[in-house]
Amino acid sequence: MGHGDKGRPSKKLKFSAKEITHLDDEDAYFGGEDIDDDVRDGEGKKRDFTKLELKPDHINRPLWACADGRIFLETFSSLYKQAYDFLIAIAEPVCRPESMHEYNLTPHSLYAAVSVGLETETIISVLNKLSKTKLPKEMIDFIHGSTANYGKVKLVLKKNRYFVESPFPEVLKTLLKDEVISKSRIISEGSRGSDGFTISKTMGEIGAGPSDLLNEAELAAAAEEKETHAFEVDPTQVENVKERCLPNALNYPMLEEYDFRNDTVNPDLDMELKPQAQPRPYQEKSLSKMFGNGRARSGIIVLPCGAGKSLVGVSAASRIRKSCLCLATNAVSVDQWAFQFKLWSTIRDEQICRFTSDSKERFRGNAGVVVTTYNMVAFGGKRSEESEKIIEEIRNREWGLLLMDEVHVVPAQMFRKVISLTKSHCKLGLTATLVREDERITDLNFLIGPKLYEANWLDLVKGGFIANVQCAEVWCPMTKEFFAQYLKKENSKKKQALYVMNPNKFRACEFLIRFHEQQRGDKIIVFADNLFALVEYAMKLRKPMIYGATSHVERTKILEAFKTSRDVNTVFLSKVGDNSIDIPEANVIIQISSHAGSRRQEAQRLGRILRAKGKLQDRMAGGKEEYNAFFYSLVSMDTQEMYYSTKRQQFLIDQGYSFKVITGLPPPDSGPELNYHSLDDQLALLTKVLSAGDEAVGLEQLEEDADDIALHKARRFGGSMSAMSGANGMVYMEYSTGRHKLGKGQMKSKPKDPAKRHHLFKRRFG
Amino acid sequence: MPQVRIIAKNFMDMVAALPAMKLDKLYENAFICEAILRSLPPLAKKYVLQMLCIEVPVTAKSMEEWVLPDGVSKHRVAIDRLIQLRIFTETVDRKRETTYTLNPIFQTNLKKLLLYGVVLPREPMPSNVTVRLPSSEDLEAFALGQWECFLLQLINSSQIERPSNISSSMMKIFQRGLLSQRDKEAPRLTESGFQFLLMDTNAQLWYIIREYISNSEERGVDSADLISFLLELSFHVTGEAYNINTLTEVQKNTIKDLADLGLVKLQQGRKDSWFIPTRLATNLSVSLTDSSSRKQGFVVVETNFRLYAYSTSKLHCEILRLFSRVEYQLPNLIVGAITKESLYSAFENGITADQAILSFSYCTFIYFHFGSSLSRRFFNFQYAQINECTFHIISFLQQNAHPRVAERVPSVPENVTDQIRLWETDLNRVEMTPAYHYDGFPSRDLFEGASDFARGYNALLWEDPEDSKKMSLVVKAENHVHMREYLSRQRQ
Repeated sequence: MGHGDKGRPSKKLKFSAKEITHLDDEDAYFGGEDIDDDVRDGEGKKRDFTKLELKPDHINRPLWACADGRIFLETFSSLYKQAYDFLIAIAEPVCRPESMHEYNLTPHSLYAAVSVGLETETIISVLNKLSKTKLPKEMIDFIHGSTANYGKVKLVLKKNRYFVESPFPEVLKTLLKDEVISKSRIISEGSRGSDGFTISKTMGEIGAGPSDLLNEAELAAAAEEKETHAFEVDPTQVENVKERCLPNALNYPMLEEYDFRNDTVNPDLDMELKPQAQPRPYQEKSLSKMFGNGRARSGIIVLPCGAGKSLVGVSAASRIRKSCLCLATNAVSVDQWAFQFKLWSTIRDEQICRFTSDSKERFRGNAGVVVTTYNMVAFGGKRSEESEKIIEEIRNREWGLLLMDEVHVVPAQMFRKVISLTKSHCKLGLTATLVREDERITDLNFLIGPKLYEANWLDLVKGGFIANVQCAEVWCPMTKEFFAQYLKKENSKKKQALYVMNPNKFRACEFLIRFHEQQRGDKIIVFADNLFALVEYAMKLRKPMIYGATSHVERTKILEAFKTSRDVNTVFLSKVGDNSIDIPEANVIIQISSHAGSRRQEAQRLGRILRAKGKLQDRMAGGKEEYNAFFYSLVSMDTQEMYYSTKRQQFLIDQGYSFKVITGLPPPDSGPELNYHSLDDQLALLTKVLSAGDEAVGLEQLEEDADDIALHKARRFGGSMSAMSGANGMVYMEYSTGRHKLGKGQMKSKPKDPAKRHHLFKRRFG
Repeated sequence: MPQVRIIAKNFMDMVAALPAMKLDKLYENAFICEAILRSLPPLAKKYVLQMLCIEVPVTAKSMEEWVLPDGVSKHRVAIDRLIQLRIFTETVDRKRETTYTLNPIFQTNLKKLLLYGVVLPREPMPSNVTVRLPSSEDLEAFALGQWECFLLQLINSSQIERPSNISSSMMKIFQRGLLSQRDKEAPRLTESGFQFLLMDTNAQLWYIIREYISNSEERGVDSADLISFLLELSFHVTGEAYNINTLTEVQKNTIKDLADLGLVKLQQGRKDSWFIPTRLATNLSVSLTDSSSRKQGFVVVETNFRLYAYSTSKLHCEILRLFSRVEYQLPNLIVGAITKESLYSAFENGITADQAILSFSYCTFIYFHFGSSLSRRFFNFQYAQINECTFHIISFLQQNAHPRVAERVPSVPENVTDQIRLWETDLNRVEMTPAYHYDGFPSRDLFEGASDFARGYNALLWEDPEDSKKMSLVVKAENHVHMREYLSRQRQ
């Protein structure tokens, strides 16, 4: 799935056992840089499908399908909307710019298609209808092969009894041949039929199928109730049965469905959407995929940042109306989720509680919503007595919905832990960027469920639902002195610091901040991964900053000031700001340093300013303000950054964004009004960078920002709960040594008169 | 290397370049006169018509009175053109007064044309003789097919299905300047060849026809005859059949070549054989700037540098391959991507062997200057002079934009065109100075002396730092003679 398949659609029809055994999952940080080098392969592998037969009315049909699984879709076709909905259900989008989309059919995508109720024959016939050419035989075989096993078996929880359900009795027979499964089967007395399967009828798929593309007869067939066969399994054995069905064993992965309406055992939660909560069309669509047959499916919904993922989550919870466990990545976003629940639904205050290191609330009554972080649940060390009690409660409760935010950042390992610790009937994952540099996103398919829906960024921009962002890459030439040092071997560990601290980049950044603050009155976020640079920039420009060591209280304070105060228009953020910190006011991002070639980080950062602002009609295509948000990525020329930058942008470019290259910033006529104008200043800066310890300006220590959820390194952490949740100011050893060494250098840039300091800094220096 | 200029010249420029004798002979053909008249600038046309019935010379002075003061420059252009084409003869009499006379043959022919109306060069054959003539669509498809096939053969593509009958010696002539062959390597497109392929069909046709004519003498064909036949051909009606027996021997041979190029289609009846001119032939006398013959665009370029060409043509595929990476070929769609690598290989095509060798020696200089880590990057700077390429690629993409995106402004996304230009300028960032590298100095003194000497000429580009054990210098090539003298003097 994801981007790894781009350009080399999978030829294998079955999952290899290997894929599922990747347990050690971590975001490939700097190791990730070579991954997609071979992705867009060269001339050698170009594919010639000129022999496919064109249909006579091909002009009216919107797509081409190639034998290797690649599909091209014309967006200007009159059938585009229908074709898009269909393709997004059966295939993985590769790139979706304005006129032509590309998709790949993969086993995963077909698994997802089957699980939302599309059948093999429907997929083939609809695809054939849309295709300009006759479908290549290889593709038909591929669809048959991929869908032979997937989506055939469902695990349904009905009235607190687990049933293995399938429309195909022969599949059930195959399953029962397995020892583990046959042992855990409960044979009830009332069962009839030759095989002893319970036969029942389920509702047909509503609204999820591409109904407008099927002719009437087919439509009638789809709507008809379907006969399904089922047998019951022992609730204590469910996990084992599930495991036996995974691709590395019987290869009939089970889809989980939750018949929540008929669940009489778990208490209902009295909550519904407030009338003013009007889901947008694409939110409706994603929900309809989830609740298509009257039951709740487990799976992942992919929506761009700022497109209203939380409303989808809250809507899902209010539809299921059972206890809900909501997992977020950090304490700030826990607060935001709790707020969203109260904003959109009629849930009462005592029914919702936050569980973080700072607030250990419990809900009253027998059903409610708990919002917490992944770390709180997965933490394996010693906890305080109070948290131990809460975690016990979380473990023992049967949750109706497990709502997981930002699923892309959580390592599979942690998922396993969370999922094994909590009992839930339905899991919903939310994310904006289903890409990981390590390409192990596929694990999510089986841990949570298939991707249920993915929105097209460009369509949302056109509809005015998310901001129309002008992206720019600013090329800053390295100054001679910095470049000379950059090239020296002995400075290999300082390369990043040298290109980030490039005076020309600093000046460009300062220029942009001034321009947007003064000329447009914008709110600006400056992102810097390199902590040394973050501190240097923020101090020099006297702007507030937030990084791993900033306490929760201070963060909240700074963000509050940024939102409300007219004097605080720029905030510097380290990696902690990448995900889920909601700063709807910001509309400009300046990125001065970033995490190597991480496409996800780029997209997540862009996501910080995607929330649409202003009036809808102004934002629509052709409206008053064509661009209302700006994303600048500052790169130093001739350095590694250029290379990384191209890689990073790939995801956004595939979503139809374009990066304009800007050279010549700051304007040549700008003089000493921007810092580091004189050579002496520049040289002083250079000395500072060079004299700082390698570990202070290098990269390593930054990977352990308390908030970065890549907490596979949890063992290195202290035992404090608050530190685990990223709530309090945790200073790492590596970091503090670096800071001491920097000490002298920093003194210089410190403003002499404390009264002149920004009020947000006063606290820090006071 | 002889520089081939691929300026799409008008047919008439060629006519004007003919020697006076031949030009006069050409005007004996009434069709030529008509074609020439059509090709003239508006003001020149007016002068010709105005003087059609005047048998005596007209003074330059009186002609100047015909134009308003702001029309003087146009007047000059018109007069120059008329003299160039020998339609006007300029005479300066003893009183140093300039007069113009209309070419008498030209005059007579045009008069006849006016009096008796247009006479077709030859009558089309009656339809009862020529059964099953191709429809206009079929004829169009034939013409373009032939032309494409010819072009594929021209660039030595491996994609040719059936080679045309054009002799390989003739093909070699056409390839001259478009392809370059370094010993035993496969021939490669030159910069001109690259530009040629990106031009529109009409311009390409002009180029080929021009080569065909200029080479005619070698084949024993009079170029004036050939020009007059080609012009005559352009007065035939597209799609009508004309008997081959009305042609001379030379013309019969020529028509076979033209059939291979797709200008005419040959058909064999029971008794007679005939040729059917296609649109390519009848467009020959049409001015080049006339864009009415422009085909519909077919290329969509996306912001992610992917390129989709709605085309079934193998030639298009070959053209796109010149500067992009073709990834998928579908029955009526070609999918490719513009990458830095693909563009650099396009830029590379414009490099001649000489330039490549010269710049290699600069590379060594750069290598010294920046150390090995950068040398690879700077090896690319040999393309410093190319700028036409970028222009041609971008204008090709813009001119052939698919109707879906053609109304969009700009039709090719800005970030793509910017990036192409940036990639190109990226190659131009290094200024090149030819230089010599001296090392192996026997003593520090000699080394320092040489370095000072070079500095005296302001020619020292680089020297090893003092603390380095190596002693080497890089000095501007123009001062190499001085350096050599100095060093040999020191050695004595």
